[in-house]
Parts: sequence; structure tokens; C-alpha cells
Amino acid sequence: MRTCVRFAPMIGSKECELPEDEARALAAHLGACPRCRAIARDLAATEGLLGNALMARANSRDFAPFVDQVMARVGARPRPAFEQVRRRPSLLAFLRGHGRLTAVAAAAVVGLLAAVSAFLYVHRSAERPEELAALEVDLEGGNIVLQTSDGPVVLIEPDDETGG
Amino acid sequence: MNFRFRQPVPSEDDDDLALVKRARDGEVDAFRALVVRHQRKVYAVALGIVRDADLAWDVAQEVFVRVHRGLDGFKGESSFFTWLFRITSHVAIDSVRKERTHQRDEVDEVREIDMEEAGEGILSTGLGSDPSDTLLRRELADKMEAALATLPEKHRTILVLREVEGLSYEELAERLGIHKGTVMSRLFHARRKMQAALRPYAEIEPARFSGGTEVASKVEGEG
Repeated sequence: MRTCVRFAPMIGSKECELPEDEARALAAHLGACPRCRAIARDLAATEGLLGNALMARANSRDFAPFVDQVMARVGARPRPAFEQVRRRPSLLAFLRGHGRLTAVAAAAVVGLLAAVSAFLYVHRSAERPEELAALEVDLEGGNIVLQTSDGPVVLIEPDDETGG
Repeated sequence: MNFRFRQPVPSEDDDDLALVKRARDGEVDAFRALVVRHQRKVYAVALGIVRDADLAWDVAQEVFVRVHRGLDGFKGESSFFTWLFRITSHVAIDSVRKERTHQRDEVDEVREIDMEEAGEGILSTGLGSDPSDTLLRRELADKMEAALATLPEKHRTILVLREVEGLSYEELAERLGIHKGTVMSRLFHARRKMQAALRPYAEIEPARFSGGTEVASKVEGEG
């Protein structure tokens, strides 16, 4: 029984996979142990079935689109190493090759522009707050009155101006 | 005047390394030939490990994308075949990694209790000692995929790498990062579980195929 535990995992080994002394010991054990011989027979009976079954399944599947899908994913064009021989390095290529650096630089520029715009807006508003109300519109007695920084301006209909 | 350079179509006799070299030089057709040459076997290995046909398709595609990406780094120290299937097993195992984390408690060592269920010889009795392509063997081959699917990931993987890819004990140890002794005992467990899953078919089917007596007597009884 204890020797079976030792030898059972060796059953199914291929030639030269076991050291010579172990291979001899296994052969001797198989000669004397009906149960391990049965294990070996079962193994031999099913040998190759799994590989055949999986390959049969693969062969039964339509692989026509497979290679095109792979080629589409890899770009289906000459590899970069090949391209580098033919093309000069450009700024665009540099930016593509340094994506993280480009993203950080772009974010910094956008942030700086936003900060300058906000500063100018607030600064100008604080200096001339009256400009904020320059275009208020009122309707007084049917006339349109514009509230400007210089005072109200009444827009008179042409008929009123001539006194009708 | 413009001349269009037409790339030579790889011949059947081009070996993998020659195709790799040409693909590395940017020859699209050479890489295409590598894919066509190995796509079915890559798929078969992936299918054995991941169990799902669509996932196996995706895994096989990802394998070739990674191969393309890694062509420059492939030094040819091992065969292209070995490199390709190393990537295949890694991608396939990665895709079912979640399953693996739930099955760490599976022991690899062979114990006395494991021997009690082994060695019944039912499969060899049912299938006969002649390994030629009998009807029952073909029927059983159809059940192999379903039987394999009942095994935990680590047993599926080691069986597929051994039976489909044909790796030796040493290569399995290197590929899976385990000792050779663990390889042997894990293979023992995997085979034992596989045979247990197949046993119902082998026990029932032989009577049907040994002259059809069981079926014939049933029909007569009904008449």
C-alpha cells in the first residue's frame, strides 16, 4: 500500500523522464501490484483522447475570420521597427511616444490659461463694477429705457420724436 | 516611374524561426502565416484551460497580439513553439485566475485514501487494450471536454499542457513554477479525476457496442 503511494504518480511517465533506478523500481512494482497495473492500463486506454478531443473541437470551428481579426488588432501594417527605418522622427511621433509627458504638459497649459482668465475677469470687475449694469433694460410707459453707466437713456418711437 | 514591391508569400517549408525573422522585419504575410500555422492548437490549449469556447477564442487572439508585440524581444533561445505556448498558458490561466484563488486548498500529494479509488481498471476494460480508433473511443472522445470541464483549473491546466502540448515533467515544473514531484502527483490527481468523470460512460457504453445485445434484448422485450 505505501509503495503504491510512492509509485502511482510515476505511472504515465515518458521514457527518460525518470532516473534509471526509479524506472527500474517502478517496473518491478508494476510487475507485482495488480492495482497499479490497472491504473497503468486505464492511463494507456485513454492516452491521446484528450488531445484528440480538443484538437477535433478546434478543427470543427470556422477559423476563417480568426487571422483577419488578429491582423486588425495588431494594425496589419509593418511593425514599428520597420517603420523607423523609413520614417524620420517627427514631433507627432515624439508626442505619441511620450503620451504621459504630453498629457501632463497639456493639462498644465490649460490650467495656466484658466487661472489667467479668472484673474483678469475678477480684477477688471473689481475696478469697474458699474460696467456690469450697463445694459439693463426697463419698459416705462411703453418706452424702452436703457440703464447705462451714464444714466438712463429713453428710446423714443419716431412718431413721438416728431410730435406726431 | 513607381515600382511596387510585392512581398514574397511564405512557403509551406518556412520554419517558425524564419517566419519570425521576416515578421520582425515588418513582413505582414510572415506574421499572418505564423498565426494560421498555430491558431488551432493555441485555441485547443486555451479551450482546455478556460472551458468556454468564446473565451478561448479571445484568449487565442490575445496570445497572437502579445506575440506580435514581443517579436523584437524573442531571442530564439527556445523554440517559437515553446515561447508561443508559454504565452498561451499564461494568458489562459490569467483569464481564469479568479477561479484559481478559490481552489488553493486542493492538495497535490498522493495519500493512501487516493489509492482506494484508483486502479479499478474500468476504463481499460471498457475501451479494450487496443488503442485503435474504436467507436467507443470516438464516443468517449466526445465526452472528454465535458469531463475536463468538471476538473478544477489547476488539474485542467496540467492535463492540457501534458496531453495537448506534450510538455515533460521538467517543462511542466518550469512552466507552472512547481517542483517535479508536485508535477507528478498533481498529474496523478488530475488523471484520476478525469477517469472518474469518464467512468460512467465506459461502464454503460460497452454493452451497447459489444454486439448490441443490451439494446436488442430491450427491443425484443417491448415487442
